[in-house]
Amino acid sequence: MRLTRLTATTAGAAGVLAALAASGGSAASPAQTFSYVTPSQVMIGWDPASSYSNDIIGSSDMYETLTHYNPTTKTAEPDLATSFRSNKAGTEWTFTLRHGVSFHTGRPLTAQAAKAAIERTMKLHQGAAYIWDPVKSIATPSADTLVFHLKYPAPLDFSASADYGAYIYDVKAAPAKKLGAWFSQGHDSGTGPYTVDYWHKGQEVELRLKSYPKYWGGWSGSHYQAIEYWVVPSVTTAAQLARAGKVTFVERLNPQLWASFKSNPTIGTTSHSSWQNLLALLNTKSGPLADRRVRQAVSYAVDYNGLIAALKGDATRQIGIVPPGLWGHFNALPGEYNTNLAKAKALLKSAGYGPGAKKLTLVLTHVQGDSDEDLVSTLLKSELAPLNINLQIGSMAWPTQWAKGKSSNLAQRQDIFLFYWWPDYADPYSWFVNIFKSEKQPYFNLSYYSSPKLDAMMSKAERLAASDRAKAVALYRTMQSTLLRDAPVIPLYVQQYQRVLAKSVGGYVDNPAYPNVVYVYDLKPA
Amino acid sequence: MTQFLARRVALGLLVVAGVVVLTFVIARVVPGDPASNWVGPHASAAQLTAARHTLGLDRPLPVQIWRYFRGVITGDWGLSIHTHQPVLSDLATRAPASLELVGAALLLALALGIPAGLAAARWRDNAPDVLVRLASVFGVSMPSFWFALILQLVFFQRLHLLPVSGDYDPSLNTTHPLAVHTHMPLIDALASGNWPVFKSSITHLILPAIVVGSYPGGVITRMVRASILDTLGEDHVRMVRALGFPERTVFARFALKPALNPVISVTALVFAYSLANTFLVEAIFDWGGLGSYAADAIQSLDTPAIIGVTLFIALIYVAANLLVDVLQAVFDPRIGLQ
Repeated sequence: MRLTRLTATTAGAAGVLAALAASGGSAASPAQTFSYVTPSQVMIGWDPASSYSNDIIGSSDMYETLTHYNPTTKTAEPDLATSFRSNKAGTEWTFTLRHGVSFHTGRPLTAQAAKAAIERTMKLHQGAAYIWDPVKSIATPSADTLVFHLKYPAPLDFSASADYGAYIYDVKAAPAKKLGAWFSQGHDSGTGPYTVDYWHKGQEVELRLKSYPKYWGGWSGSHYQAIEYWVVPSVTTAAQLARAGKVTFVERLNPQLWASFKSNPTIGTTSHSSWQNLLALLNTKSGPLADRRVRQAVSYAVDYNGLIAALKGDATRQIGIVPPGLWGHFNALPGEYNTNLAKAKALLKSAGYGPGAKKLTLVLTHVQGDSDEDLVSTLLKSELAPLNINLQIGSMAWPTQWAKGKSSNLAQRQDIFLFYWWPDYADPYSWFVNIFKSEKQPYFNLSYYSSPKLDAMMSKAERLAASDRAKAVALYRTMQSTLLRDAPVIPLYVQQYQRVLAKSVGGYVDNPAYPNVVYVYDLKPA
Repeated sequence: MTQFLARRVALGLLVVAGVVVLTFVIARVVPGDPASNWVGPHASAAQLTAARHTLGLDRPLPVQIWRYFRGVITGDWGLSIHTHQPVLSDLATRAPASLELVGAALLLALALGIPAGLAAARWRDNAPDVLVRLASVFGVSMPSFWFALILQLVFFQRLHLLPVSGDYDPSLNTTHPLAVHTHMPLIDALASGNWPVFKSSITHLILPAIVVGSYPGGVITRMVRASILDTLGEDHVRMVRALGFPERTVFARFALKPALNPVISVTALVFAYSLANTFLVEAIFDWGGLGSYAADAIQSLDTPAIIGVTLFIALIYVAANLLVDVLQAVFDPRIGLQ
């Protein structure tokens, strides 16, 4: 009797559970909605002038820029500007604006409105606003013409396509003094195909964008009508959501989970090279690595192919500093390093170290919680051990790692500093000026490398990029070879974007100039 | 009573102040400049200096602590370095979801733990007792992340019975928008009569509540069992047995009530403990509570947010302890509010 009652109660509970699940459970994503899964908060900054974080993945579907970088042609192409040209010196740039474009506020896009947006971004000078630093003044000779007068030659076609700081927005969306606050409440004033439907900070679906009916590209043909941005910190939960068909796109899983989707009939995988590379900066100022021979020895000791294999497709080999897909990259460079333990031993021996000689202890720092950096550090430690090098690994939060690297006390600094770099716009200059330009007080030059010759080449390359691209490319080749010879850095690998994407989606392309951005308007739903 | 409460509140606030000072000092002693996260990875030195000024990091530590205390009293808990929003506003958005989850978990723990503890004591050293003790050990010792993954695998992946994550079906945001008042979806849906969201919230709450409730459930079960066994040996229980009351009455009427007193104190304490312990569970179930907020804050050395979360948890602990003291005095005549 008791058993019967227990069984009945259990069956009843299961029935209620099933009924609730059926009535209020997760419905499938509507076919016209693109669901994007990311591990952390999407809209950290709403102001298009200063946003400089994960918000790029939402903002890029709400806002547009004057030009757009094409990784295939490696050129900037028309976006809000239908054409653009510069004078021969690269100091004056003229952009002709597209007709029939309106902001989500309903006001039309004019040269004056675009000028006001760029000038506000320049005035606030936050985030990536530095991309407009070369600009001396902006003129608007007609309603559809913008003329930039520059302080010095600069590739403004690339700057205008930047992933941050280059958005064109309506500054009249709210009174000037209240505009920042208006944005931070979850509003947008862009010209893009989608506009804010709702923003629920802290919830699983943090942001939903809906189609902007007056979008200049029109809505004929097949397009997604809405985008949902899901914040899912756990990769296993993200994988389960994808398997169940609840979401369309997962930005990143770990390599093992990503590989598990390869045989899935409805979910596909894509892998594409990014512009984000992992660099090991070697201390050229103090400690054992101040000796160039030791730096070269460590560079020869790295098992580059072993690293790539251990990362299971999460990375590809980086030759030089500039990643593949960006102009200035070369598949082979004079002086590039391949694993060669015999050379490493010989160089160490000449410096008084190596097997049978004085033991060498090096300190490596990296960011806590980055599983790839964890793996790389561990592999480096095991690769250096046979060379009588003891690698001490320090795993810490980024602010701590950076503070140690910048410390004025040389004893506080590390020997090897692991960190990622990527550019804000399609120009190799970003790596050189930030990481290798001589600095009295270190900021990002955490190899403390100083070469007046390389500094001069950087300045020249920046100007040549605007006026003579071929010469700039040749100069970047020389600069990368110089760095390989002096060995202040070991370019370990370039990260791969490993995406999970519903097979029903057509036309997906990963553009490394816009990290993790999906241009949903360009996709074709099933 | 008033004097007792005033003294306890004053002591509690002193503890909270101590926790804040300690957290503040530790956060500042750790090498690193939180402003570097405020301005982003590629910021210039000038931007970094401006950010340090905006965040008040360029002032001496005692001044920073004094300004912080003044701000706490006036409702300014600082700006989060990670979200760029006021910390108090972030907490007001995130904490209710955690409170809802922990509240549901505790209700579940009490609903299962008290009868289970009672059954274990009633059939001491027999099969029900062994089963209950095994289950309570399981609940207390099970790693929450593993338990969460197993439940997801079984109830979502295999049986398709319950949702895997979130606090309600997001598609309802467009068909049945929820009027947000408390940031607790279940309460908001109930208050506004939004039944589709209410039903969806219940199904989304079940798995995370089971995981969060497993530890308090185990503790409460063991506590009830032990307390009842203690009470059964007391004179008044021997007396009612001698008078011939049936065993069911002895347990339910004469042994359970006095045995619940320690359960009240342990429940209040595990509530505060569970609130701090839900962080990992929230990450796995994508629950928009304090967990992911605190995790992001720690990773980015977001000092105002770290201190804000610490202060909030400390306040909950103090409030829980105060509640225990008052409830014990109410339920147990031997304890006075002196």
